Amino acid sequence: MTTIRRFCCNDLLRFSSVNLDHLTETFNMSFYMTYLARWPDYFHVAEGPGNKIMGYIMGKVEGQGESWHGHVTAVTVAPEYRRQQLAKKLMNLLEEISDNVDKAFFVDLFVRASNAPAIKMYDKLGYVVYRRVLRYYSGEEDGLDMRKALSRDVEKKSIIPLKRPVTPDELEYD
Amino acid sequence: MASKFSIAGGIPERKVRPIWDAIDSRQFKNALKHVTALLAKYPNSPYTLSLKALVVERMGKLDEAFSVAVNAKELLYANDSMLMDDLTLSTLQIVFQRLDHLDLATECYEHACSKFPGNLELMMGLFNCYVREYSFVKQQQTAIKMYKLVGEERFLLWAVCSIQLQVLCGGGENKLLFLAEGLLKKHVASHSLHDPEALMIYISILERQGKFGDAMEILSGNLGSLLMIEVDKLRMQGRLLAQGCDYTAAADIFHKILELCPDDWEGFLHFLGCLLEDDSIWCDEAFDDPVHPPKFVNCEVSHLTEEEFDSQISIASACVQKLLADTVNNLIRCPYLATIEIERRKHMRGRRNDENVMDGIVQYFCRFGHLGCFISDVEMFVEVLTADLRTELLEKLMKARDTLSAPPIKALGLSISFFKVKQLLLGNMSTSCAKDLEASCVQMFEMYCTNLPLSKDLDPQEGTHGEELLSMTSSILVQLFWRTKNVGYLFEAVMVLEFGLAIRRYVSQYKILLLHLYSHCGALSVAHEWYKSLDVKNILMESILHHMLPQMLVSPLWTELSYLLKDYLKFMDDHFRESADLTFLAYRHRNYSKVIEFVQFKDRLQRSSQYLVARVEASILQLKQSANNIEEEEAVLQDLGCGIYFLELSEEVGSKSLTFNEDLQSRPWWTPTSEKNYLLGPFEGISYYPKEILLKDKEASLKRVIEKKSLLPRMIYLSIQSASVAIKEHAEINGSFTPDITTELKLLLERYAQFLNLSLSEAIQVVMGFANEERSPVVSDSNLIDWLNFTVFLNAWSLSSDEFVNPDGNGCRPRIWNILDSLLEKYTLEKIRSIGPQLCSPWSGIELLIQLVTEPLAWHGLVIQSCLRSCFPSGKKKKKSGSVYQSGSNLVHAITDSVVHLSHVLEDVMKWICEWMTKPEDENLENIFHLLNKDGLNNDGPGKVFRTLETFISSVNDAEFGDHISPPLKSWSPADVARKMMSGKLNTLMEFSAICDSKMKFLQSMKQQIAQL
Repeated sequence: MTTIRRFCCNDLLRFSSVNLDHLTETFNMSFYMTYLARWPDYFHVAEGPGNKIMGYIMGKVEGQGESWHGHVTAVTVAPEYRRQQLAKKLMNLLEEISDNVDKAFFVDLFVRASNAPAIKMYDKLGYVVYRRVLRYYSGEEDGLDMRKALSRDVEKKSIIPLKRPVTPDELEYD
Repeated sequence: MASKFSIAGGIPERKVRPIWDAIDSRQFKNALKHVTALLAKYPNSPYTLSLKALVVERMGKLDEAFSVAVNAKELLYANDSMLMDDLTLSTLQIVFQRLDHLDLATECYEHACSKFPGNLELMMGLFNCYVREYSFVKQQQTAIKMYKLVGEERFLLWAVCSIQLQVLCGGGENKLLFLAEGLLKKHVASHSLHDPEALMIYISILERQGKFGDAMEILSGNLGSLLMIEVDKLRMQGRLLAQGCDYTAAADIFHKILELCPDDWEGFLHFLGCLLEDDSIWCDEAFDDPVHPPKFVNCEVSHLTEEEFDSQISIASACVQKLLADTVNNLIRCPYLATIEIERRKHMRGRRNDENVMDGIVQYFCRFGHLGCFISDVEMFVEVLTADLRTELLEKLMKARDTLSAPPIKALGLSISFFKVKQLLLGNMSTSCAKDLEASCVQMFEMYCTNLPLSKDLDPQEGTHGEELLSMTSSILVQLFWRTKNVGYLFEAVMVLEFGLAIRRYVSQYKILLLHLYSHCGALSVAHEWYKSLDVKNILMESILHHMLPQMLVSPLWTELSYLLKDYLKFMDDHFRESADLTFLAYRHRNYSKVIEFVQFKDRLQRSSQYLVARVEASILQLKQSANNIEEEEAVLQDLGCGIYFLELSEEVGSKSLTFNEDLQSRPWWTPTSEKNYLLGPFEGISYYPKEILLKDKEASLKRVIEKKSLLPRMIYLSIQSASVAIKEHAEINGSFTPDITTELKLLLERYAQFLNLSLSEAIQVVMGFANEERSPVVSDSNLIDWLNFTVFLNAWSLSSDEFVNPDGNGCRPRIWNILDSLLEKYTLEKIRSIGPQLCSPWSGIELLIQLVTEPLAWHGLVIQSCLRSCFPSGKKKKKSGSVYQSGSNLVHAITDSVVHLSHVLEDVMKWICEWMTKPEDENLENIFHLLNKDGLNNDGPGKVFRTLETFISSVNDAEFGDHISPPLKSWSPADVARKMMSGKLNTLMEFSAICDSKMKFLQSMKQQIAQL
């Protein structure tokens, strides 16, 4: 039972049940506000009965030419509302906006190589591992760059996996 | 003209680049070297000077940075032919901003704009300056100028946003919106609009003026196509129509939303609300606190006629039936819950059909009972049922549960929901007997253990299935403690949660419950450890800090408290500093609705009650920490403007509207706010689920607390001053100085007395009454510290005040001093006598004791130090005279007495702490386990869950629980938990002991000083 709407500043004061989860990062204010100021259509929250925050997604759109793509920065769901495919709903929304509104070629995301449950979920949603980013997380753990092609990328060129891993300095975007 | 702005102040870019590179890589010394070299060549270049200012500011030389920046600014002004480019201005702007002189940066841009009036880049810089200063009117004027210059839509919207901000945050009148509307209308007529956000602002301007029809017309016209997300557009349309009371059309729109998003619960509520012509959902939205929206649906009994009501309800039902028929996804809950909501509305209308409500809930349970959110979904519907019906519903649910066959994980979910719904329906746990509650605890705990193997293949970072069972078990155990006062239940609750955390380290729910339990028992250092493990940072501090901060404020864990406060204040202050730049970012990216949102959010945080409390408390903490050394204390006071800053806050706070941003939902039921702890009072049998808490109720009392505490720094400062002139002949030393201090201190004493609900003279009478060992009925634990503080400051005032010389013909100054000493002694001893060295003794009494030593006693210590310091004037021998204290020896006597008294008090406290420390650890542990195993196997009371736990652990086998669960289960030791709890309490007491010890040492040194007199 989900009302999905744009995320607003006041939600920052209401999302503690979601963010106390240890795998959900609480970023600094300028990070959230930069996303809100620049890509408000990529930052959505799901609310349930009793005005409870169920989860949210934040992302952006960036890149040049055929690298113009949607990016999922964070997607998270409160424990109480898990196993209801809410993350899928939120991801679909971001994909839809990237595809239909911004005409992006693909959507990508980064995930810890050790986060097996999340990788499994993204895999189910149609994401493939495009490349491995060595020591992406705090210089320690590898990250996986996963991608899903959108309708504009007819030949699905954007998701052909790279043969070798890359280092964080080789990444095109932050 | 253009070339003038292409090169920074006429200096080639290649010469400046190394400076910026060095700054970016934080090599400031290197940067300074480059700047100095450049300055030799361009000594009068404002740009070079700005760079120098920037570098020296980063090096921490703030004064120098300021004077260099001002120099640059003057040069910029002085020379008319001087090049004026945005790079120079923006560099100077950065420096002035970092030095908290936004006004000077603004002046630079104003000057530049007046010199080059048509320059858009400079005007944007100026607009940005006004954004930083929150000067909405000037923002508007600048934006209009830019709009007139180039006619771009964005500048018009900058102006419109600035107008809206004047109305929303700047106290501007609503009619300003009409002006904004006119501007937009004119622009749209000639140029249309091109940004979706521009349209949103246009709509909101009309909406705020109640012009819903006009807004609707625009949204339905060509401009509407700017909104790309269809549902968002429909929501806006529905809202406008409903607010314009066109309910039929609004209902149609919401119906469309439901067709697109059948799971949109809010969409359904709006649909139903429109059908029933109930506008409360819209009205309340405007008034309600957006951070604490109501848990239950806002609705009113419909004013429709019976026929109309029936007809509308049947439309709603038909829609829901269709949604149900079309639902292929078995995770869509909205239509099912909607059928219950329709029954609830009928019920409210007097068309009571309890069977339908109950059946709706039972069906919902059968379908979604296994989900974690079942209870929060149905909570509001249970409200309409009477007690008998609740029992009936419970039976129905039980039957349903028994007939459902589900795979194990789902079955577990159903059982958990059943337990929860049972608590919800029976509400008041006092109706169940303790034995039943114990049995229920054991049952839940066993269920958790039995189902653990279901989680054996889960990733260790995922939660286990059924983890809520442990929180529920511990909650009932706490309830049993409240009811019986048997502390064994509390230990049992702790054991259960610790056990859960041994299996899964990350369950925040357990950690929060534990930190409150440990805090309640006084094991604050352990509570703080669990708090830290929650990794509360950034904005979470604003909503979560309340779990830890209040108890830390009255604890001896000063280092930890200091970090908590510093981190929080730094986060808030950083945000206030950077917020305007982010607002400008929203302007630049044409996300105008976010501009408004950011300014309102910053305003909300600036009025945060917790922020104000933290600011005051951070200073008081510093004063407590430095109280043993008057010079250090004076340095702290100096930084606080001799207490003036907080005095101003104290005066302002009453008229401020405070915000409360705490997330209270995550608190345990027994302490729904930081001010309330049910466990300290008698058993009341309140509802298990905390009732909605009205934060506004807190506002008045909190304002009083802030008002009162903000007086402290100034009163401490004045008391020190007052005491110092007790020895000095104030008339001789500074004729005007002393009376000012005395008068001001008296005024503050009058204000302080008001917080004791008395006038100054009444309060003095109460204090004088203590001399006869009278126990005043106006003094209680809740205001004891205030009374003692008052007496300390009263005593200090009496030292310099002539008013106090001979009120009873006898001179009462020494008497107040004596009274104060004996009060401090009396209440300290009373506290330590009432608290035995048992683990289970209530911590609240100890908190009071800690406050007593670290506040009034410490402030009194400062008064003594001040007096003593005056006895040893630097250089010449003090000539004592009788103007204040009839003779110096009188005062010396009082000081000596006081020091002896306070030493005794502290000695007693330390002896008392020592008693705790000397108890052998084994004995402490034995006591704890004795509480859990008191009466053997056939006992009443705590221990049943614990024994189940022990049996479970002893029977664990690896194959059943897998690699992740089995090892922590085997290595988990209840004795370790007991030890941790014990040491947590003892560590906290040791910190207190260290504070007492340092005070003892300082009293000792005073004794030596007195001996030299």
